[in-house]
Amino acid sequence: MDILVYIFNILIFPGFLFCFFFGLLLSGIDRKLVARMQRRIGPPVFQPFYDFFKLIGKGHIIPRGAAKKTFMLAPIIGLLGVVIISMFIPIFGYVFIPRTADMIVILYLLTVPAVALILGGSSSGSPYSGVGISREMVTMLSYELPLVIILLAVGSKVGHSLGEIGNVTFSLSKVAEYQSKNGMLICSLSMIPAAIAFLLCIPAEVGTVPFDVAEAETEICEGPLVEYSGKYLALYKLMSAIKMFIMGSLFVALFFGGTGFGTGIKFLPLNTLLMMILVIITISISVSFLRAIVARIKVEHTLKFFWTVPTALAFVSLILTYVTTL
Amino acid sequence: MNGYSSILPLMAIMLPFLAAFIIALTGNKALGLKRVLAVIFTFIPLLAVILLFKPIIENGHIVSYWLGNWVPEKTWAIGIGLEIDAFGLFCGLIITLTCFLSSIFSIRYMEKDNGLEKYYTMFMLLTASMIGFVFTGDLFNMYVMLEIMTFAAIGLTAFRNHKYKSIEAGFKYIVIGSLGSSLILLGTVLIYAQAHTLNIAQISAILHGNYNAVTIFALALMLTGYAVKAFLVPCHTWPADAHMSAPSSISMLLSGVMSKTGIFGIIRILYMIYRSKCVAAPSMEFLMIFWGTITMLIGASMAIIQTDFKRLLAFSSVSQIGYVIVGFGVGLSAKTSVAVTGTMGGLYHMLNHAMFKSLAFLCAGAVLYRTGTTDTTKLGGLAKKMPYTTVLFMISLASIAGMPPFNGFVSKWLIYQSTFEAGYWPVTIIALLVSVMTLAYFIKLAQSVFFGKIHKEHENIKEIPWSMRVPMIVLAAVCIFAGTFWNVISDKLIEPAAYAIYNIQGYIDVMFNKGYAQNMFNHEIPIPKMTRAMAGYWSPINWLLLFVVLIIGFIVIASLLSKGNKKESIIDLSDTKYDTFTGGEKEYFSHMAGNDLFWGLKHQFRGYFKTLKNAHSGIVNDYVLWVAACAAVVTIYLFAVL
Amino acid sequence: MLLNYIGAFLLIVFGLYIILVKKNLIKIVVGMSLLDTGINLLLVSVGFRPGGTAPLFMNDLKPGSFFVDPVPQALTLTSIVIGACVTALALSLVIKVKEHYGTIDADKVRRLNG
Repeated sequence: MDILVYIFNILIFPGFLFCFFFGLLLSGIDRKLVARMQRRIGPPVFQPFYDFFKLIGKGHIIPRGAAKKTFMLAPIIGLLGVVIISMFIPIFGYVFIPRTADMIVILYLLTVPAVALILGGSSSGSPYSGVGISREMVTMLSYELPLVIILLAVGSKVGHSLGEIGNVTFSLSKVAEYQSKNGMLICSLSMIPAAIAFLLCIPAEVGTVPFDVAEAETEICEGPLVEYSGKYLALYKLMSAIKMFIMGSLFVALFFGGTGFGTGIKFLPLNTLLMMILVIITISISVSFLRAIVARIKVEHTLKFFWTVPTALAFVSLILTYVTTL
Repeated sequence: MNGYSSILPLMAIMLPFLAAFIIALTGNKALGLKRVLAVIFTFIPLLAVILLFKPIIENGHIVSYWLGNWVPEKTWAIGIGLEIDAFGLFCGLIITLTCFLSSIFSIRYMEKDNGLEKYYTMFMLLTASMIGFVFTGDLFNMYVMLEIMTFAAIGLTAFRNHKYKSIEAGFKYIVIGSLGSSLILLGTVLIYAQAHTLNIAQISAILHGNYNAVTIFALALMLTGYAVKAFLVPCHTWPADAHMSAPSSISMLLSGVMSKTGIFGIIRILYMIYRSKCVAAPSMEFLMIFWGTITMLIGASMAIIQTDFKRLLAFSSVSQIGYVIVGFGVGLSAKTSVAVTGTMGGLYHMLNHAMFKSLAFLCAGAVLYRTGTTDTTKLGGLAKKMPYTTVLFMISLASIAGMPPFNGFVSKWLIYQSTFEAGYWPVTIIALLVSVMTLAYFIKLAQSVFFGKIHKEHENIKEIPWSMRVPMIVLAAVCIFAGTFWNVISDKLIEPAAYAIYNIQGYIDVMFNKGYAQNMFNHEIPIPKMTRAMAGYWSPINWLLLFVVLIIGFIVIASLLSKGNKKESIIDLSDTKYDTFTGGEKEYFSHMAGNDLFWGLKHQFRGYFKTLKNAHSGIVNDYVLWVAACAAVVTIYLFAVL
Repeated sequence: MLLNYIGAFLLIVFGLYIILVKKNLIKIVVGMSLLDTGINLLLVSVGFRPGGTAPLFMNDLKPGSFFVDPVPQALTLTSIVIGACVTALALSLVIKVKEHYGTIDADKVRRLNG
């Protein structure tokens, strides 16, 4: 019986099917919102689903200069990474694998999809993909720093009040518990700069304008993905969509967490619905809104931006946490 | 903790020395005999270490052996004593395993060189002296073994003396290395002047509570001397040249293992000889953590701007040694649970670094063997011709970047957790940043060397022979094993070694009768309790199951959804649809490699990188100046705080 | 006695100075050798006992004979041998440097840099 629940959790919820469905849905909602903001009609909300199934059905071409096995394995590894992360993130108090120290694991696992993209681009053997992976690596370097500081700020706030060793906790389930007792973290003033910094990091992780210099369609013909086609391209697009879902739900778990919006309800479908709504709102603010109004910035400016503005905001949050707990 | 006498350590040291002399006698002939002797006589120490597992790790004894049976007279040590506790055995295991694998790799790798009796002689000398260094309990014996190790390493660095870089690297190594050894000798002399004995256990018993200015000065000198051997910044300039020029089967030893002997020396000094001054002292903790952090940063920054494969790997070693020193620095903390976590992190990273860096150097050796160059601007696209090497290099990349099922993740996690709990949160942030930079330059290597377009002159290369692949596969297997079954390694190796580092009382008692240490120390010394302090109760077996289930799921879905085109069986690869897309431009050779990558990062920090690049000027006097300045700074700092 | 220590210290400082300042590779090797000599002098001086004789184990040894400390003398012998080996190895490397580079000026032997 346990095995069946296990497999249900992996394959349906919150594993495969839920991620797929919700990730692609988020991607579609994002496209529709951006179109409406730009006074167009835009594609239907379920367009990414149609794209996905269409791409799977098409044939693929593996270029002559590509390293075949890496070329074919890279999207699968990336997708595995994102699906595993989705099993760690608590959905308002329900978490599939309740492990005690998992923020660092999530941070490390978040590099897996980026590395999969880089490896895929690398193995294509094309100069466009070479430029693309170089930019992707620099982007990854730039957003890791504020992300680390944000996680440390949240961890130390919760850890201090729970009295952990060294005043830090690295466990998302403990963060969720803390929020169900003391209200959402976004309501405490010291966490607001960290929340804003996280919102700024989301477009860079997901790879949308203004930080999508790695996949710049107009300049380097989609960078790492230039030689991909058919079902491998479908897997990459899916990976990108699920990543959007993960970043949104991470934000909700960190800052809007607790159980049922602080109401203490533990009914799982209702909590899931609530979480989906919050994730849609988050993504629409941080991804769609920014995408509609700004242009793409260059790679060196990406580095400079991330190492000044979100880093400073996250530091402010860390310092405020220390000061208020003294 | 009673002493247990065994002849195994003596055999482990003496037999490779014997083999060195026998090989030197054979002259130019009998190459097969030399290879066989080398493999056998590096296997015997490995066997000895494995046989010593049972008494030391399972039963908790500390093995001791007085050479020539000169046992202590009236509780004063007069002979040279070998003393092996779990920490020495741990280092011994790393050393013997890598030396054995290196001797197997050398069988085919060195076949194009001549003068191989000199190579094998020095190789056996290197092995024997490294094992002797970690098994000895006598301070001057450590110096002698260190010197033999340095000579053998210099001889091996300058082995291919038809290339100018070997000679230049050898000369710089001998100047800086012998300066480091001289500093260690000076420290030893000063300690002898105060303690009048050379046995480490007795010195720590005598010096306890009797520290004066001379001993503090000796501490500063010995720290700097061992820092030269373990290449901490600013004494890190010699490995960049030396590891680049040495044959790859030796580079893996120099980089992966000799640095560990330097760290072994630092641990013996800090944790055992100067025990009551250093352990639980915030000033020493700050010094080691600061030193480790600077080493991490500068090693990683220099590695990003390199273009030579092995030089980049050498700077990467510098950076990883920084991690180990930070771990041991946290181990000096006053909060015992945090200290234990830090020490365990440092020990685990020592093991991991030896494994994945050796694997990376062997991949570099394989590339050099087949293509004849290690310049990343001239290589490219080797993945199609050398698939095994590519896969093994990817395993090394994943380990060093710290991806979860591999071993780098475990040790890095311990170090992050311990530094944050010790209160040094900037160090955690810098460590994570350096980890991403590590990933960056390894991806640069992967893209420049293994992926991309293949050059015309490398179109006909083949994969490396099987006898060269076997050591690499063994190392990769250890990487994966140490990552998934970390609890086994932690129980059997890491925890006893960490216990042994703090167990100064047992160490001293073995040399003499029980209670000697208690008399000297006037009280029972508390040993922190070893707990499975890793709060990660995630079980890697679950991870593996998860991975397997997911992969099966994917394969099922992917095969269901694809239409199964049977007509893909005959693919005419000369069809232009298989060309790389170049936007309609004429295709000429364009391969993103070497310094073209990461332009954004290098442009943004061009001042910083330019300063670093110019600082490593290549002039030997500059490098010596840095070592001397480091010695001066450490001396002043120690006199100020201790 | 103090003279020994001052002499050793001066030798060490001079040796270090030569390695730091001189550009000719052979002079650098001379400096290394001087550094070793200084440390050896220090080592022997540590073992001195006023009024002691040479520590030789002869047949007509009486109890209560007063020797100087023999251990540093043994250590010094080892150290002298090691110093000789280092000098030999370094000088042979200098010969090879001259073959490859044509010069033994440290400012010009710097093709491995950066």
